[in-house]
Amino acid sequence: MRRLIRAIAAIFRVELSTMVQYRGESVLWALWGVVYPAVAMAMWQAAARDPADGGGVARFGQGGFAAYFLASMVIGHLTTAWDAFEMGYFVRSGTYSGWLLQPLLPIWRSATVNFAWKLFTTTILVPIWLVIAWAARPEFRVDGLHLAAGVVSVVLAVGISFLWGYIVGLTAFWTKRTEAIGELWFGASLLFGGRLAPIELLPTPLRELSYLMPHQWTLGFPCEVLMGHASVTRVWSGLLWQLAWLAAGAAIFRLAWNASVRRYCAVGG
Amino acid sequence: MRDAAEGGCGTSESMRPRKGAGRVLAGHSLENPVSIVLAENLTKTFRVPQREPGLGAALRAVLRRKYTDVQAVAGVSFSIEPGEIVGFLGPNGAGKTTTLKMLTGLLHPTAGSAIVMGHVPWKREREYLRRVSLVMGQRSKLNWDLPAMDSFLVQLAIYDVPESEGRKTIDELVELLELGPLLKKPVRNLSLGERMKCELCVSLLHRPQVLFLDEPTIGVDITMQARIRHFIADYNRRGGATVILTSHYMADVTALCRRIIVINHGRILFDGPLVGLVERMAPFKLIAIDLERDLDGVSPERYGELVSRDARKLTLRVPKDAVAAATSRLLAELPVLDLTVQDPPIEDVIANVFHVKQDSPL
Repeated sequence: MRRLIRAIAAIFRVELSTMVQYRGESVLWALWGVVYPAVAMAMWQAAARDPADGGGVARFGQGGFAAYFLASMVIGHLTTAWDAFEMGYFVRSGTYSGWLLQPLLPIWRSATVNFAWKLFTTTILVPIWLVIAWAARPEFRVDGLHLAAGVVSVVLAVGISFLWGYIVGLTAFWTKRTEAIGELWFGASLLFGGRLAPIELLPTPLRELSYLMPHQWTLGFPCEVLMGHASVTRVWSGLLWQLAWLAAGAAIFRLAWNASVRRYCAVGG
Repeated sequence: MRDAAEGGCGTSESMRPRKGAGRVLAGHSLENPVSIVLAENLTKTFRVPQREPGLGAALRAVLRRKYTDVQAVAGVSFSIEPGEIVGFLGPNGAGKTTTLKMLTGLLHPTAGSAIVMGHVPWKREREYLRRVSLVMGQRSKLNWDLPAMDSFLVQLAIYDVPESEGRKTIDELVELLELGPLLKKPVRNLSLGERMKCELCVSLLHRPQVLFLDEPTIGVDITMQARIRHFIADYNRRGGATVILTSHYMADVTALCRRIIVINHGRILFDGPLVGLVERMAPFKLIAIDLERDLDGVSPERYGELVSRDARKLTLRVPKDAVAAATSRLLAELPVLDLTVQDPPIEDVIANVFHVKQDSPL
């Protein structure tokens, strides 16, 4: 464990240095993460303004949508993971070969880079989030339980998002088309994760389908909890679902990793 | 600043590969040399998709894809003793890099076995990975956006090299490789040769006992090639590290390797001392002569096979056992200004192995 911590700390320092050096690029990527929820927020707020809907959509008024998409902006940033997109490049370019020859499991490197990027960019995004919150006037009806559960839920969401994204990235060991698979994964998260609309506004079949995918547990559910929309039963069952997805991810990663390395070693790197 | 080629630095203990790391193989005693690398019938076959050109063939391939088995390495066997520097020679696609990848643990063989320092490489055990290093001339271990020193420090941490020992090793390698002026520049701004020196440095920080070098001098200029060669020889000499090297540059091989393994089409054609290969494959010498004046009607072919002719400079190929007689006749019968007898260039000898012997072992 001491060895692992030392390696992670060193990678963290170097990655943070890289981000500071190339701060413009890091900031642009971070701002890209603000655009999606901001656009969705504007659209849904406009829809909620329509008197024909009685001034709201389901139980979301303008303030409700502002709260949901503001939460999704923050949680979406914290749960961002890009291994599903990048792994293909690392495998094709041979970078992964170098990592495989080091006495450190490559997932630790990815997790460290991911954490460093979030730490760096969050400091830049906080003022932007505050300005958007001031302008959008979100309505949170959150109590202590929801706040505490929401924080736990976000932490679990970060783990699920990273781990499942990495598992999807491991398809790079089988196919050269991982960028397309990554796009599909992101597309699924738009719909089933609640990035375009709160899960409860989805048609019933899609809502049911979302339980079969990890996406709603990486964004929609934590947003629901932090807004105070989730019942106590829903809070507890949702946290259990998250734990289940995390445990399943860990188990599948272990299997997928061994199979991937065997595959890599079979076809060459 | 001292030239790495001088090998005059007072380094030493910390530049040496970690000792005691090599577990002996079953059946070997300490009195007898223990193979540090043992490959037996190592084979690697790749399954490669194939199709004819054109849209029709592309559509047919959607329904039924055809594959061809390509045997990159076809049952090679060899053993390498601790401290040896062995050169792997072969044309592109001969199977050199695939063999190296199997020995480092990046590839599973299709058949056969290998033991390196008592470990099966492709199990990629932590203890094994901590004691080997692979340098690939065309791939980088360095972070391109940052100065090389940042990558060095990460490497020390990943291999858990104690802080003080690591700093000392960095200092020594920086001095040996003359990296001082480069350490503050982002790697992307370094020349190819400078980057290669940094690659060597980062690959040796954990003092690997077995060093795999895949074309370490590719693309760098002649001066830098010489420095890298001297450095590798120095690293081998100081700590007894085993070095397995592939290269297209014969100068690398002649400068570093007493033993070579010639491989083509995945098969070993020759395994032995370099001089042995020259004697076996080149039973002739080259006689180069400078003439004082033009030859009037005298054919130089009377003395040997004419290899080249440039004004009054001639090169003749003569069987080894006829060199003495041919030399005497040339000096007696022609207006010779200067005469030298040479071995044929090693490049020609190796090319001869590839082209004449095809897949037959020598």
